[in-house]
This record gives sequence, C-alpha cells and structure tokens, in this order.
Amino acid sequence: MSAADETPPTDELLAGNRLVRATQALRERDARGIAPYLTAGDGGLESTLAVLHALDQGGAHCIELGLPFSDPIADGPVLQAASARALDTGTTLPETLEMLRAFRAAGGGVPVALMSYANPLLRHGLDETVERAAAAGADALIVPDIPLEEGALLVGACATAGVCPVFFAAPTSSDERIRRAGARSRGFLYVVGRTGVTGGGTTFDAHTQSFLARARGLSAAPIAVGFGIATPADVRAATTHADLAIVGTALVRRLHRTEAAPDARAGAAAAFLAELQAGLA
Amino acid sequence: MNERESGPWFGEFGGSFAPETLMASLNELDEAWRTDGQSAGFRAELAGLLRDYAGRATPLTPARRLSAELGCEGWLKREDLLHTGAHKLNNALGQALLASRMGKTRILAETGAGQHGVATATACALLGLECVVFMGSVDADRQRPNLLRMELLGARVELVEHGQRTLKDAINEALRTWVGDPAAHYLLGSALGPHPFPALVAGFQQVIGVEARRQVLEQAGALPQVVVACVGGGSNAIGLFRAFVDDEGVELVGVEAGGEGIAGGRHAARFQGGLPGVLHGCHTWLLQDEDGQILPTHSVSAGLDYPAVGPEHAQLQADGRATYSACEDAQALEAFDTLARLEGIIPALESSHALGWVMEERAELAGKRVLINLSGRGDKDLASVFALRGKGNP
Ligand SMILES: Cc1ncc(COP(=O)(O)O)c(C=O)c1O
Repeated sequence: MSAADETPPTDELLAGNRLVRATQALRERDARGIAPYLTAGDGGLESTLAVLHALDQGGAHCIELGLPFSDPIADGPVLQAASARALDTGTTLPETLEMLRAFRAAGGGVPVALMSYANPLLRHGLDETVERAAAAGADALIVPDIPLEEGALLVGACATAGVCPVFFAAPTSSDERIRRAGARSRGFLYVVGRTGVTGGGTTFDAHTQSFLARARGLSAAPIAVGFGIATPADVRAATTHADLAIVGTALVRRLHRTEAAPDARAGAAAAFLAELQAGLA
Repeated sequence: MNERESGPWFGEFGGSFAPETLMASLNELDEAWRTDGQSAGFRAELAGLLRDYAGRATPLTPARRLSAELGCEGWLKREDLLHTGAHKLNNALGQALLASRMGKTRILAETGAGQHGVATATACALLGLECVVFMGSVDADRQRPNLLRMELLGARVELVEHGQRTLKDAINEALRTWVGDPAAHYLLGSALGPHPFPALVAGFQQVIGVEARRQVLEQAGALPQVVVACVGGGSNAIGLFRAFVDDEGVELVGVEAGGEGIAGGRHAARFQGGLPGVLHGCHTWLLQDEDGQILPTHSVSAGLDYPAVGPEHAQLQADGRATYSACEDAQALEAFDTLARLEGIIPALESSHALGWVMEERAELAGKRVLINLSGRGDKDLASVFALRGKGNP
C-alpha cells in the first residue's frame, strides 16, 4: 500500500459536489441540518432505496449510507445487527452502488456520504471503488478504520474522483489532530460525540458541548456530530455547535421495528425525520 | 530498536487502521514502548519477572525418540514449561508491566485458546491490575479449564455470543470495549492489530528465539537447518524467527491451521486461501470473500482459528524469507498423541500443528536438524481431544 497523494480534492473539482454545496449553504444561512444514517441492505436494497427517497423528500440535508461489514469494530449492537442482517440478505458493495445509481436516476438529490470499513473498499480496489461510487452519485466517503495515519490512502482515492474525504475527531483527539483532520476533510469533519462505539446515549452536557465547540473552532471543514443522537432534544443540543446532526442507531432501530416492505420503511423514515426536525431551531 | 523491531510497516503490511477514538491510546502506548520500554530499568524489571516468576530460560530438549522415529534431529523449545503453560506469558508480563508503569489500572484482553487470557489474568494478579478477558463462547466450551483458571486468578471473563463466537469475535468485542474505555490498556495477545502491537508483541516474544539460538549452538554445536512454529496470529513464531532471520542458511517455516483441508474452505490458512486486506487494525493476509467480508474459519485448535495473520509474517512471506504451510486437524491430532507417547510431553493443539508438519514432511527433513517451537502444553485440550476421539477421530 503506497502512501498516495496527500492533497484533498481541489475546490474546483468539488464545486459541483452536493455535500460541499449543502454544508456551505447551511453555514451561509447560519442554519443546521440532519443527516440520517442507515445500513444499506438492512431489510433489502429495495427498502433502502425507498428510504433514501423518503428522507430526500422529507428534507434530510445529507444521508450517511453505511455499507455492511462482517466485523464492524466501531459499532454497537444495533448497527452490528443491521450489518449482519444486510449481509444475510446478500448485500454487496457493487449492488449498493447500483442502488445509489437508481436513486440518482429517479431524481434523488440529497448529498450521500458512503460509510465503509476499509476492507471491502480495498478488496474491490480503493481508487476504482471511489471512482465508481462517484459515478453512482456518492458525494463523500467515511472510513472509520482509516485514521489520519493512513489518511493518504483515502485522500488520494478521493482527490481524483471529486469525492469528499471525511476524517474523524473524537473526545480523545488532541487539538493538533482535530485541526489536521478538519484540514484534510471536505464536506464535513465527523465528530464523535462520545468516547465509545455507535449507539448508547450521548449526554450533551457542558463537557460534551465544550468538546464540540473546540472541534468547531479547530476544524476548517463544517462539522457533523454523531453517535447517540436519538431525539429532537438531542438534535437541538447537538447542533448548538455542529452543522449537522447524524442520527444512526435510532433510525436503524426504528426501521427494523417496521415491516421490511419498502413502503412501510419509507413511511417510518419520513415520520421519524419529521419528528427530529422539531429539534432544528 | 531497528526498523523491523519498531514498525508501523513491515514492507507493505501493518499500519494503523484503527478508529480515531483509539489513536491517542495507541500513540501513547507506542511512545511508552519507545521510551520506558527500552530503558534499562524496565528491561531489568521484566528480565527479573521472566526469570524468577515465569521460569525463563525455558529448556531446549533433544527429542530423541521422535527423532529416531522420523529420521531427523528434532529439538523442542519448551515454552510449555513456562509458567501458565505457554509462550503467551512473555508478552502478558511485558505489556502488563509497561501498562502499570504507564499508570494504567485496568487491563482488557481477548483470548482464543484461553492461554493468553490465563497469562494476562496471571500478570494482572501479580501486578495488582484489574483484568477483563473477552472469550468467544465456542472457545470457552472447548477450553474450559482455562476459563476456570482465569476466574480463579480474579479476572472477569466476558463471553462473546455473536459472530462465530471464537477469537475474531473476542477481538472485535475487546476493541469495542476499548473504544469506550481508552484509559484502559488493551493487552493484545498476538503479533497483530494496529501499530504498535505487532512490533510490541514480537519484541516481548523474541526472547524465545534469542534463547533457542544460543541453546542450540551450545547443545547441538550448530544452527538448525529448519526452524518451525505454528502460526495463529503469529506471536510464538515471530518470537522464534526473529533470532534466525539473518542466518541465511536457516529455513523458517510457519504452520497455519489446515482444518479439514484447504479445498473445502474449512480452515484458517491465510496464506493458502486468503488475500491481503485490513482487519483489526492492520493490513495483512486475510480469509475474505469477493466482497471483502471476513470468512468464517475452522481449526481444531482455538488458538489458530483466526482469519488474519500478523503483518511481520506477511512481509517474511513476501520477501521469500519464510515459507508458510498448513497442517490439517487430523495430522495435528496424530502429532498430539505421538509426542505424548514418544517423549512424555503433551503438546497444545496449536503446537501440535508445527509437530504435525514435521511428521508429514519427514522425507524432506531426513537427516536435518529441526528446531520446533513447543509453544504450549496440552492439558487444556484433553476434553476436546477425547470428545473428538469419541466421534471416530484417531
Ligand atoms: C500454545 C499456543 N500456541 C500458539 C498459539 C497461537 O498464537 P500465536 O500464533 O500468536 O503464537 C496459541 C494461542 O492461543 C497458543 O495458546
């Protein structure tokens, strides 16, 4: 594995990127947004497609679409189970990109940030996969097991494809790391609200808020905060400093409780998004 | 420390593929290993523990009757005689001491065969550290004596009930717990994972090879032609191999778990059926499907039943410096019996894979001096071996 190009995609290359435009627009209006997360293929890719459309029409500002992985070390029980269900139904990376292409072909306009652990991307060839993801309509790539140390791989693959590389900041990150992660990210910097895996509750107390303020101050990129955001009140608290609130586990849980039929899942997603939007000031 | 000893890359293998939340802890550990870990004070304290508590140096035993049977000159490096019964204690003591000097009070560990869990629980008891061990429930069933030992030693054992419920799943759960508790030290048990673990663990295990090389020169009067070790994550093997890497005439052979045969897919031989990729923090050879999902593994031996191999082995293989072969369950079980009857030593099922390879290759090895790492003793395996016999195995 060679350390590829270290330079993120240029502003020119990203001028048409949906995520860059969306987060810039939020900053210009001093507004905040919601970015729902779902695992591709949980309930089948047809349901995923229907949910994408429902979230798009419901006014999501970005969708984080997680590719399932057999060994998701940064995920709690709910997203682990979602990955396992998606793999059980035979979901693969190429089919997920096909589904995304269909979403775009049917007019889906919301920015989509793909999330994948490193191995499926590497197995299909990182550079080729990012090219194909861009062609299918992905705007950003989030890889929870590619930290700054291996970031050249991600940045290099994204630079030529015009996709936003997204790095993470955590409560354990030093100022210096947050600054570097923000400088190398495009679209947004993914700020982990709590020290832990996905799911569980994040308490937006003074401690968390001061971390989020620190991240916002250090990051050149807008910030999206995720992990443990479940209610409109969480959305309100999370977006005191963050541009975007990512809601994953709570949505995945809600969808799983609904029957897998695409219409039912789409309805549940739309209803949940509408509830959460009450938290946007 | 030279480049090989300090990582993070072994050629194109290794790296730091870990979530951001863990990077501060990994970098802190790397720093401690480079500074305190290389200090005279630390080294002396660890050497004292290894000698007076663990029982180093372990002997090098000429395997006389086995040699006569096979027609080669076999030597056994007796890690089975180390306190707790396997090489795992070298690393557990080293890391626990380093962690305690870093001010850590809580230790997390995974275990497959239970030997690393027992070694960690032991080191924690000795140093007064809190200890939590993650173990797949399938492994807990097949290595029950070790489960009981860990409990006696005061560790809390968390059974892992998802995935295949073996070593890989125990590592997943230990990593997730560490993400939520980065102030704890994660005492990883093999030469794998994100930097600095592969280098750190190999650094604590290389005592095996340093001793063995000196002993074989003293006792046999010459270097071995072939050095053999089983390879799960790869810690006992790298600990032995490092001492011989620069001895050009010495052939290094790592033996992976051939399970029920490579062709049928039920095995854990990464170099036979795998491809490079990223799992548990490092870039290395993995058993994976076309979509990059990690495949289930199978081995009669819990300690070898894992889909990734340590990155330093991946480099030794790429460089052509070591070769990696596989030994199937049946041959390992036969070697288990053979060593017991011919030498009065009951080997761990893991170590039986190295012995099984030597027995299989007896024609090739005829007349050669062969050094075999007996990484552990087999008391833990008695119940599973007798249960398999009941099912018609040898
Ligand atoms: C006795 C023994 N040998 C070998 C191994 C395999 O591990 P490694 O390849 O790290 O030496 C184990 C693992 O549990 C073990 O208990």
